[in-house]
Amino acid sequence: MEFLDQPVELSLDLCLKCNICTTVCPVMAVTEAFPGPKYAGPQAGRFRGGEQLTPDASVDYCSGCRACNMACPAGVKIAEMNARARGALVEQGKVAPLKRLRNNLVARAATLGQVAQPVAPLANLAMGLKPARWAADVFLGIHHEAPFPPFSRESFTGWLRQHQAERRKAAPGAPGVGSVVYFHGCSTEYYEPRVGKAAVRVLERLGYEVIVPRQNCCGLPLLSNGEFPAARQYHENNVRSLLPYARQGIPIVGTSTSCTLTLKEEAPELLDMHDEATRLVAESTYDFNEFILASGRLTEEVLSQEIALRLPYHIPCQYRAHRIGKPGLEALSLVKGLSVVDGGHTCCGIAGTYGYKTEKYAIAQAVGAALFDWVTGFGAPLAVCDSETCRWQITHATGIPAIHPVELLSAAMGYAPEGALRDVLQLK
Amino acid sequence: MRIIPTEILVIGGGATGSGVARDLAMRGFQTVLVERGDLSEGTTGRYHGLLHSGGRYAVKDPLAAQECIQENRILRRIMPGCIEDTGGFFVQTPGDDPLYAEKFAAACQQSGIPCEDVSLKQMLREEPRLNPAITRCFRVPDGAADSFLAADLNAASARAYGATVLKYHPVLRLLTETTAGEDRRRVCGALCHDRIHDEEVEIHADLVINAAGAWAGQIAGSAGIAVQMIPGKGTMVAVNHRIVHTVINRLKMPGDGDILVPAHTVAVIGTTDVKVPDADNYAIEPWEVQLMLEEGEKLIPGFKKLRFLRAWAGVRPLYQEARWADQPAQNRDVTRAFVLLDHETRDGVAGLLTITGGKWTTYRKMAEVTVDKVCEKLNSPRPCRTHLEALPSAAPAQGGTGHAHSDAHSGMRTHSDGHAHSLGQRLAEIEREHAYGQLICECELATRRQVADAIRSGDVHTLDDIRRDVRLGMGPCQSGFCALRAAGLMAALAPADYLPAENGKMLRDFLQERWKGLTPILWGQQLRQERLNELMYLDVLNVDHLGEKAERRAAASQAADERPGDKPQSPASRRGTPAGETTLVIGGGLSGLSAAWQAARHGQSVTLISKGWGANHWGAGCVDLLGYAQGDLVQAPRQALQALIQAEPRHPYALAGLETIEQALHSLQTLCQESNYPLHGSLAQNWLLPTAAGALRPTCLAPETMIAGDCRQDGRMLIVGFEPFLDFWPQWIAGNLQQQGLEAEGVLLDMPGLRARKLVNGLILAGLFDQADFRRQVAAALQSVEHRRRLAGAQRIGFPAVLGLRHALEAKQHLESLLGAPVFEIPGLPPSIPGLRLHHILIEAVRKSGGQVFEGMLVTDKQARPAEGSNGPALEFVLSEAAARPKAHRAGRFILATGGILGGGYSAEADGSLHESALGLPLAAPQREAWLQARFLAAEGHAVFRAGLAVNAHFQPVNADGQVFYENLYAAGGAIGGFDPLRERSLEGAALATGYAVGAL
Ligand code: SF4
Ligand code: SF4
Repeated sequence: MEFLDQPVELSLDLCLKCNICTTVCPVMAVTEAFPGPKYAGPQAGRFRGGEQLTPDASVDYCSGCRACNMACPAGVKIAEMNARARGALVEQGKVAPLKRLRNNLVARAATLGQVAQPVAPLANLAMGLKPARWAADVFLGIHHEAPFPPFSRESFTGWLRQHQAERRKAAPGAPGVGSVVYFHGCSTEYYEPRVGKAAVRVLERLGYEVIVPRQNCCGLPLLSNGEFPAARQYHENNVRSLLPYARQGIPIVGTSTSCTLTLKEEAPELLDMHDEATRLVAESTYDFNEFILASGRLTEEVLSQEIALRLPYHIPCQYRAHRIGKPGLEALSLVKGLSVVDGGHTCCGIAGTYGYKTEKYAIAQAVGAALFDWVTGFGAPLAVCDSETCRWQITHATGIPAIHPVELLSAAMGYAPEGALRDVLQLK
Repeated sequence: MRIIPTEILVIGGGATGSGVARDLAMRGFQTVLVERGDLSEGTTGRYHGLLHSGGRYAVKDPLAAQECIQENRILRRIMPGCIEDTGGFFVQTPGDDPLYAEKFAAACQQSGIPCEDVSLKQMLREEPRLNPAITRCFRVPDGAADSFLAADLNAASARAYGATVLKYHPVLRLLTETTAGEDRRRVCGALCHDRIHDEEVEIHADLVINAAGAWAGQIAGSAGIAVQMIPGKGTMVAVNHRIVHTVINRLKMPGDGDILVPAHTVAVIGTTDVKVPDADNYAIEPWEVQLMLEEGEKLIPGFKKLRFLRAWAGVRPLYQEARWADQPAQNRDVTRAFVLLDHETRDGVAGLLTITGGKWTTYRKMAEVTVDKVCEKLNSPRPCRTHLEALPSAAPAQGGTGHAHSDAHSGMRTHSDGHAHSLGQRLAEIEREHAYGQLICECELATRRQVADAIRSGDVHTLDDIRRDVRLGMGPCQSGFCALRAAGLMAALAPADYLPAENGKMLRDFLQERWKGLTPILWGQQLRQERLNELMYLDVLNVDHLGEKAERRAAASQAADERPGDKPQSPASRRGTPAGETTLVIGGGLSGLSAAWQAARHGQSVTLISKGWGANHWGAGCVDLLGYAQGDLVQAPRQALQALIQAEPRHPYALAGLETIEQALHSLQTLCQESNYPLHGSLAQNWLLPTAAGALRPTCLAPETMIAGDCRQDGRMLIVGFEPFLDFWPQWIAGNLQQQGLEAEGVLLDMPGLRARKLVNGLILAGLFDQADFRRQVAAALQSVEHRRRLAGAQRIGFPAVLGLRHALEAKQHLESLLGAPVFEIPGLPPSIPGLRLHHILIEAVRKSGGQVFEGMLVTDKQARPAEGSNGPALEFVLSEAAARPKAHRAGRFILATGGILGGGYSAEADGSLHESALGLPLAAPQREAWLQARFLAAEGHAVFRAGLAVNAHFQPVNADGQVFYENLYAAGGAIGGFDPLRERSLEGAALATGYAVGAL
């Protein structure tokens, strides 16, 4: 089909005005501030461009969940169009300086992490202080209840160095089936190293040598805040560092579904990076579960432990946008005793950094309301979700801890679980 | 007969005529202007909108070039709201004569046209889509003009100075008299026909100015004066969006297709130049469109593949003293400079001046010269001031969106705010006012207020008049969504003598007018768009039968409703697909969902993948089985189906068989019953249910929320709409129902809670109706003093089909208990809330039966294994588009349910070929010339929409020899060709029956 090769803006020509996208947009359903995907995307698109100042601002309320893209029968790249329109707002200085500062703060998890992690207890204390949160709300527009997770004392890469050293000692030069690059993302590094640890263990059990090259933030938070030049910098760095592996045919695997989508598609598309190197990195990138399922090595034999739990599962928008089905759910279906149920909800509302913002917090909570009710009503001690910010949002709204599927896989392989999963399994 | 005396009569309401009228009025002459239709309905409104810098004529006709640049400067000053300062490029494409460039630069300098040499890098920075192989670029002060608005402002100014402007006053003939004692004739006025009041009007004048453009010859001829005009047809094609923001000219001697003008939201390429014998009768030839596309491709690589909105032509008023038949076929050499004919000196007939030729850019100059002559003739020298005084631009909006001004009778277009217009202006205004809930025309962002102002001006007589005022229906959907809204709004604002009969016709006329301009460029996505428009206006709204006195069978027996619950027999598994077989269904419309559901129920392991959602979201939410057979209303589907099956053995219904059709309906009824959303009806009878256009649609199964509207039954209806909801106009609906012999009244509820909302659409209303509180508010509003009387007189109450998404039945019953009368829903424009309900029920059913459903997956390729021994070729897997790399889907059985052109199952290309989208199966295409009917609503339907796959008795796609392409491939729904589900009103029935049959095979 021709439209696959079309640049984002040209895809507006495909729109039939048919309104299907409006039936699925979770934001339009809960707020009047957003006129909906058809209006903000292909419709407004015909009035943008040229020398003029970009004429519209309501597009900033698009959360970028891509539910519209998935439902559109014509192939209009609505969410991308919206993201680029927001980029134009930022570029033309139409976003107030303080708001922009705020956006940059919440969008730079890596910078934040680098500063805060060494003093994690202190930072967490500060983050927990009501007055501090209120101040941030009033002065910066970061909602005082925004679901920030606590910083982890230990960084993932810190653990990894030690782990790899031990491994070399235990089995020097053990032959494997091949190598994989693991893209851990900021959340694993600073907030949830347990996800990365589980991923490394699972990959190693499946016979892979795990390589973790230098990497920075995938840039998605910046992209979704319209900070395109900064995002480009991040993506260029990542491409530079991942390219040698891609060239050798080593797959790049990530547990954060939004990081992997950014590497695969979002960054090249939104930033118009169509060079060979970017393409090669994109084509070498896999979602963690997509990869291990395709490897054919995830057998019942390796998943030897039974986990007798029945858990609610939510597939993140950014995972659905890979358009590869539900590999997370599929992988978990192989675990003995485990039953994971997909509630079929569109979006949890958080959409990366969207739900942190004062003016959007309530929208994000309203978007996720049906999901939260369902999770709460499910009555399980845990929820399962592949994306970090969605996990934090679910936990924030329901009080129920949320874990990544890889944590269950790792436990099913007999590794000691951590965090909430450990508590739940210990109780049993 | 009325007689209007005046000093000067101007004939023609185009740029020239309105300009002349303004100049005359400003110089104090008593002036009447008559126009046969709407202002700028002729050539003025049918040109590409280029404000010439003069560059185009610099080499060939320096005089014309100088005139252009002078007028260009003046017009920018006096009508900034009509001019967009786009600037212009002259570019030299490969193959253009390189010597022309130097001549051009020098000639521009000589004529005083600023001309800047632009580096190619800079050119591409400004216009990145231009051909990188361009070798030279100059910048000149071209612009884009809004010729509709300009004519309006000129007319408004003329009125302000005391002139009278009479639209819809065609001249029947000039009036002449012979002065006693002399044998010299003189023109003393004109006999006109007032089309609005249908009466003749004589206008007596001292002097008549013939500014009728390409029709000037006809006017003069009516007084026996020969003025030889060569109507020169110029064809133009509009691109769906502004592919460039600068006017692009070719750096060569003027020729065909060498101008690309960004005009409002579109870009227009033009033109051809062909002499035609009759300025009112000409066709756009395929070669002309082809030529525009080819020339566009030279400027912008990929141009031919863009989406085109329309092709149209204007007739240039080219004057030539010699007989036109002696002229060469090519018109371009005829002078563009204008001519003023004084018929006293030329023909010996006093009292008449003809001003003709010229171009839009120089219209003011032409007016000036003409009125100078008038002064001379009447011996009353008065200086021209039109270049000094700005046109009465509409005042900036006063707290209203794009709401301009003004005197309600000025007839002035409402879309100027006095500033130079720019592309984003309308969007910026909508955003500033948060007026996104008030859009009548969503594509061109025309608000309710703008349309209402146009209607209230009293100067609007057709929907096309509104279009010229506010750009209604000029965007991608080409009136699909706005036509109904504007027709309804017109009825809501109707004067006392308003006739609903007129409005149904008005709507159809507008749709037809739009269709006319579409047919020359109808392929690809625009053809798909028109199929959606067909779905809305035929299938959902039944506008093609609006106004027909439907033969109503009184008191159709409810007994005919074979209630669901009498269990359908479980369908015989005809081919015996083993349980556990993996089945991949491609397509998420009704056919795909029912195939998936049936296959899953039969124990197959089912995955459904779909690019996006489909016709469920657009249709009426009923099951249309067969509504019309040979154009006749079907009352008893069973008999009509039997006849159809006999007559058309390849029809999907014939392949499925009556028994399967019935089982398919029953199974859906059972499912819906279990989902607490009963569908009623049977093969014995068709319902006849009202639509949001006030027409009556035949349908076989209707949800319980709709059936109280059955128009075969008597019962006075109260039709209730909601003030901010623009898709549903109760007065119009009721008026149209009355006209078909039904008792109905309309009421538009104005609820403060809704009015306070910025956005009220069907989805939002449905969400509200899911809440009992809102339902109580609605009931209270209807029981208020204002509406109580109407409510008391109603035996049933119709609402737009938005009575809840999740709890529709509950909402209906609750409303009935509150209001004390049966309540029914009336389907209208997409998104279809009743359709969404069915969609959710079916998705849930697939999942509950163990199937999986994935959206966002577009099948782009396949892998098949070749024939082996007695086994034919078979599909192994298909690939769907995904982030970074395609995803493979393996299955034992594949069901293609991708729909027709609308669903995206196949596409039709400019070259006349058809392509099956998912698997690349060959399709037989009807002749390109036979694709479309001249009439949009033609009962025969458009042949291109009947194309599709041929299938065998097992619904397996077969080639021309009847051989299956793949042993394990089946098709369902609109992917199957040979029938037109929209004309037959069999959309859901055919999808359901074939989906059921294939799924259960
Ligand atoms: S990306 Fe999500 S929030 Fe944005 S328009 Fe699409 S559906 Fe709505
Ligand atoms: S679903 Fe796609 S085609 Fe339909 S209105 Fe939305 S963007 Fe346009």
